[in-house]
Amino acid sequence: MRLIVGVTGILMALGLGSASAAEPSVREAYVDVPMPPGFKVVSTELEGPVFADARGHTLYKWPIASLRNGYAGDPKDKSACEDVVTTKTGGYMSPYPGGLDLPDLDARKSCVAEWPPALADANAKPVGDWSIIKRSDGTLQWAYDHQPLYTSHLDQSPGDVLGGTSLFRRGGDTPAERFPVGPPSALPPGFRIEGTLHGRMLVNDKRYSVYASDADEADKSNCTSEACLQRWLPMLAPETAQPRGEWSIVQRSLGVRQWAFRKQPLYTYMRDTRAMSQDGGDEPGWHNVYAQPGPAYPKSFTVQNTTYGDVLAERNGKTVYFYTCGDDSADQLSCDTLGSPQQYRMAICGGGDWARCHELWHFVPASADEKSEGSVWSIISVDPKTDRQAAEGQAGAVRVWAFRGRPIYTYSGDQQPGEFRGHSMGEWQGRRNGFRAFWLRVI
Amino acid sequence: MRLVSNKTCATLAALAVTSLTAGMVLADGSQSIAATRTIGYVTTDLHWAFYQTADVDKDCPQGLAGYGPRETFKALYPNGGPVGKTQLARESLKFFPNDKQMQFPYIFSKATIGVGVNLDGKVGPNDYVSPTGEKGIDNALQKVLGCNAQFRQPEGQLQLFGNKFVRTSTWNRTLIEISNVDDISNSDNVAVTIYRGRDPVLLDATGEGVAPGGTQRVDMRWGKPIIQHLKGKIVDGVLITEPIKEGIYPWAIYNDVPTLLNWRDMRLKLTLTPERADGLIAGYMDVESYYTWLTAWSTHHLSYGRLDPAEFYWTLRKMADAYPNEKGEMTAISSALTVNMVQAFISHPDADAMKSNQKITDARH
Repeated sequence: MRLIVGVTGILMALGLGSASAAEPSVREAYVDVPMPPGFKVVSTELEGPVFADARGHTLYKWPIASLRNGYAGDPKDKSACEDVVTTKTGGYMSPYPGGLDLPDLDARKSCVAEWPPALADANAKPVGDWSIIKRSDGTLQWAYDHQPLYTSHLDQSPGDVLGGTSLFRRGGDTPAERFPVGPPSALPPGFRIEGTLHGRMLVNDKRYSVYASDADEADKSNCTSEACLQRWLPMLAPETAQPRGEWSIVQRSLGVRQWAFRKQPLYTYMRDTRAMSQDGGDEPGWHNVYAQPGPAYPKSFTVQNTTYGDVLAERNGKTVYFYTCGDDSADQLSCDTLGSPQQYRMAICGGGDWARCHELWHFVPASADEKSEGSVWSIISVDPKTDRQAAEGQAGAVRVWAFRGRPIYTYSGDQQPGEFRGHSMGEWQGRRNGFRAFWLRVI
Repeated sequence: MRLVSNKTCATLAALAVTSLTAGMVLADGSQSIAATRTIGYVTTDLHWAFYQTADVDKDCPQGLAGYGPRETFKALYPNGGPVGKTQLARESLKFFPNDKQMQFPYIFSKATIGVGVNLDGKVGPNDYVSPTGEKGIDNALQKVLGCNAQFRQPEGQLQLFGNKFVRTSTWNRTLIEISNVDDISNSDNVAVTIYRGRDPVLLDATGEGVAPGGTQRVDMRWGKPIIQHLKGKIVDGVLITEPIKEGIYPWAIYNDVPTLLNWRDMRLKLTLTPERADGLIAGYMDVESYYTWLTAWSTHHLSYGRLDPAEFYWTLRKMADAYPNEKGEMTAISSALTVNMVQAFISHPDADAMKSNQKITDARH
């Protein structure tokens, strides 16, 4: 099986890159798994490598999830996403009963309309971990690792991953979410990659952060003193481990081998007390390691120190929030885009009062000289009279910043930089229908 | 370096002490330890203080709270309806409780014994008598919480799980450091500083309890607003502080939902030993702050105790007994938290070192 390494990644592997933070053009390497004809891998800014169809549209899975009152999503080798417009809530999220009328039924789409299945033709053959399932209407659908695959009606361009994200491990009580699907990352055993706003973070198998030091040289560790080794634990490679792709092995002493990534010897931090920590980066010259950097947020944005950690803020220091929402139907459709029913957001941002919502929660305006620099952080036009997306240049429309195609907000309850009073406002601490701050680092 | 008497040295050798400078000073009875004259503790448990008997009927002759989110929903929308006008309307009210007046009956505790502190120095008709016979105990919150299963021990869901996060969440790693200690039993003039620690608590051999003797680094990067200074004295082993006009105490009852309790006239009353500090944080709790703390709990979780958030909000306002606003409405409610702490060595980072380590999280901008 081949490894695919991004072009800049190769340069880094040759020792031409810096020792720590991944360069903007570095892309995460992945395992070149066999794919059916017509599919490919696209390297995305936020999610790393993902599978895509011939148009470059990202493929998603919808794994079954345990909700408070039942299950939603696809069991293995079966699709629960049907071409039927659901009209009632499912009552999955206690304490409210099911059977309530869903909003905007005249415009509501079916699950299939929002999540078109990746259909296979009659002659398609399973390849590797790709298999074919039969849908309830008799059509055939591709599955990967037994999970049926879909595209998202939100994705328009190759590289778009607007349908779902593996970022923000939000734990339980989120909707049954859709996630992008991609090939395995090219990693030795004992490593994994976690999505963060900073980038695709390298961690060990317990999700503890992996670090590199500026004081090391290419494939050479200079952390050999007792003082250094009391704080930093080299990530040892077993005797049978072999260098591969961006991964090499540093011989610390006879029989003691240490993993290196892009020629940087790797360590864990003895003082880390939790997964995905950035605490080791507070030691001068030490850094978390990223397989690829996260998409750069708007240049006018700032990072604010709060009592809970570092949060992303707009130019004046006001904390910025994203709004997330999934409905309580059997389809678990997203309700956080400008095209989805607005009642959910209005309930939380203004108690159902449109004017109060606008008074309390503000879009983040983009100045005239600001431009979108990617599909993750982008500028969209919004009609403030309807809160629907407007055509660029439409009279009365405002240009606002968006994250993953959804507008972001500031909260009028935040008076000073560093305040985050809007964080977690909403159903289920904002995880199901509400606002969450963009935390870059938490205590 | 200040000289201390042999008696004081002996006492201090028994104290678990903390360093006021960079690094740690061990509790080995050395002169440098004695010179610090300090002891630190880390919070391990928080519960709202109220007196309850084993027999619910005595405290709550009308029974326990009956109108939680499920019950109010059923009463208001027996035939269901559009999600926007039913489910979302109730969720709206959780965040905008002033939009609708109280609609359902609320059951108040009838207990006459109360846990707390005499906050105003008076004995009034609404005051409680403490379990030890002290009169004038101010704890109007007890009347609100006492008949709600959410709060009653041992099985109250919020009592159980809200406390669970005290030990696991760094946000809740609240420390107190008592300095100027002559004797842990009696000291006329001590200074108490509240900090936030950065380290996990030290678990004992069972993995359940928290052992004394752990180390806590003070969080000077994100925790500065938590730092508060109180003055007090130790009398017969009990630390009693003077109230501070406005105090805060962090308590996140759910992961990733950091909340601060805002107190008026906040004070501490803690029984000290070299290993533990147990007692009360008391004062007038800002009603809005309390409600924000409470609503970090999802409506689902609040259902366990039949606690409808909007109804509860109005009850809090009704029972609030201090700090009237310009309309004459009380904005704070007398209350107390039971707090348990164990001794911890408090490590103060060198201020200059911290400064040089501080940097923008992301260097791309």
